[in-house]
Amino acid sequence: MTASPANEPFHGLGCNSCGARLNVPPDERTARCPYCASPNIVMRPRADGEDPTFAVGFVLPDNVARERARKWIRGAWFSPGAFLRSDVTAIRGVYVPAYMFTAEAHVKYTVSIGENYVVIETYTTTDSKGRLVTRTRTKTVTEWRGLSGQWASYIDDVFVTASKGLHNTELEAIEPFDTRALKRYSPKLLSGWIAEDPSMTATQCLELARAEAVGQIGHRLSDHMPGDRHRGLKYSTQLVHEDLELILLPIWILAIKYDDESPLVRLLINGQTGALVGQPPRSWIKITVAVLAVLAAIALTVMLGTRGVL
Amino acid sequence: MNTDPSTGATEPLCQRCESPLEPEDLRCAVCALPVPISPLADVQQAVTQILRCNGCGAAVRYLAEIGAPRCDFCDSVMEIETPEDPVEQAEFFVRFAITDEQARKALKRWLGGLGFFRPSDLQSRAAVDALKPLWWVGWMFDAEGTMTWAADSNAGSRRADWAPHSGQAPLRLHNVVVPASRGLTEVECRGLIASYDISNVATQPPHHDRATFEQFAVQRSAARKIISGALEAAARNRAVPLIPGARHRKLSVAVLPTRLVSRHYAFPAYVLAYRYRDKLYRAIVHGQDATCVVGKAPISWARVAAVALAVIALIAVVATIATA
Ligand SMILES: [Zn+2]
Ligand SMILES: [Zn+2]
Repeated sequence: MTASPANEPFHGLGCNSCGARLNVPPDERTARCPYCASPNIVMRPRADGEDPTFAVGFVLPDNVARERARKWIRGAWFSPGAFLRSDVTAIRGVYVPAYMFTAEAHVKYTVSIGENYVVIETYTTTDSKGRLVTRTRTKTVTEWRGLSGQWASYIDDVFVTASKGLHNTELEAIEPFDTRALKRYSPKLLSGWIAEDPSMTATQCLELARAEAVGQIGHRLSDHMPGDRHRGLKYSTQLVHEDLELILLPIWILAIKYDDESPLVRLLINGQTGALVGQPPRSWIKITVAVLAVLAAIALTVMLGTRGVL
Repeated sequence: MNTDPSTGATEPLCQRCESPLEPEDLRCAVCALPVPISPLADVQQAVTQILRCNGCGAAVRYLAEIGAPRCDFCDSVMEIETPEDPVEQAEFFVRFAITDEQARKALKRWLGGLGFFRPSDLQSRAAVDALKPLWWVGWMFDAEGTMTWAADSNAGSRRADWAPHSGQAPLRLHNVVVPASRGLTEVECRGLIASYDISNVATQPPHHDRATFEQFAVQRSAARKIISGALEAAARNRAVPLIPGARHRKLSVAVLPTRLVSRHYAFPAYVLAYRYRDKLYRAIVHGQDATCVVGKAPISWARVAAVALAVIALIAVVATIATA
């Protein structure tokens, strides 16, 4: 296999419905978009954007991914019957583009640190004979002290989606990816898999990544704080030596369109770790029936109980 | 420990934290900055076979002419293993400075000086079963950078016992040893580390009749976790004297290391197995300093019991006198 775009063994597909731009191996006969199950896909020339720097390879084989998807569908008791009968053969392993952000963070913070201490207080109450008595009890009081300081660390493992078809919260839900298994990108790696071209620009993703990094710093700062508790943490972050790399992440995607009226249901499985995210649809009829059945059972128990049968 | 030998090599450095990059690195192991195009891509790591001990897990280089001997650390059977990851080799071998005979004497002297709770005939009756010179392995690293910390201390406290403090300081660590040995325990390694004269090193295994040398048998990614753990532990130690007051709690440290340079060292030691009343014990004699011995020795329970009884008797006497 060669890497030159002229005899690239992939053909480009574009989804007119969700906007995904996919590169599909020639033997892959897909009539629907793996992201949104839309049949509205068109051939398009391969985009000549930047090549990814790294990729995380697929570890989870397709039979395992399919089995997980099947289990997930069967486990959705409160979903409509049509959904439970959904086919899993449409599941596709897709190399999804994402940006990996690393930086050096310098943070200045102010915070209120709560230091607990115990006081003994006296109080009056009435005893069992109705007399007024004075007693003592211990009480924990928090003394709040201001603290300001600095914090510095490297920021690592921030991933943001570069695909318009995959929301960043969906990506976060199946993270983490083990970056120790990172491979340098080569077209060979993609053979037999669908690979998506980025549909978001590096500039858009950089802003997302910075925001995610700042959020991550907040959590780490919280862990850094002394005292019994803290509140009012404010911090300003300076990110320097930033780096943003386009990478490909292995994700199993199953788009389920179980009837024409209902919205699309999407299952994502981390192709490296097997972590799974998806929101099965709810059948309100099934839920109502179940609630009624539970209520009936309770009512029956109470009735039998009051008549002394139980 | 004093001067360390210069590595001399012109290794490529990370653009962000200036730590040397290793062959096959895709990202800097310290700060995670991607390495542009592998500048060391053509460096081939030879696939070597190692001998792995079934007992303690130590790994030593496999030499076909020697075959599969018994483990020098624990005397268990060893098996040939071909590791997937490149096996890291020691780059620096600290030289032996004492002989077999001095090691034997060191053990005897050590057995005699262990104190009252040891059997009185320990020194005279203990017989050395086996003496094996070997090099055990560890990383040694230097790092610079900054460290920020936060902690509670009694300084400045008001009604509560504690008051919060924070600070930052430059970090400068030099020759911090992190044991990588599987054959020796962490405690044994810690006991030996301080006494090595690392200026007395060779870059090739020095000629020695029988000494084997241990391999770095930890995968590279795991090795880096261990080193960054040691870096943080070292930073914590540096932070403690910076906290005002006499007592502290809840110390957190964040480090931003730069120029983290780690080297692979092999440290000389004698592993001695000695027998006392039909039981085997292991002691390690430092390969350079005969006064440094670590290991296990029997305890005289008769003596412990005698002391306990004496203490109880004394308490009884005091109590009787007090009540009388
Ligand atoms: Zn689509
Ligand atoms: Zn670096």
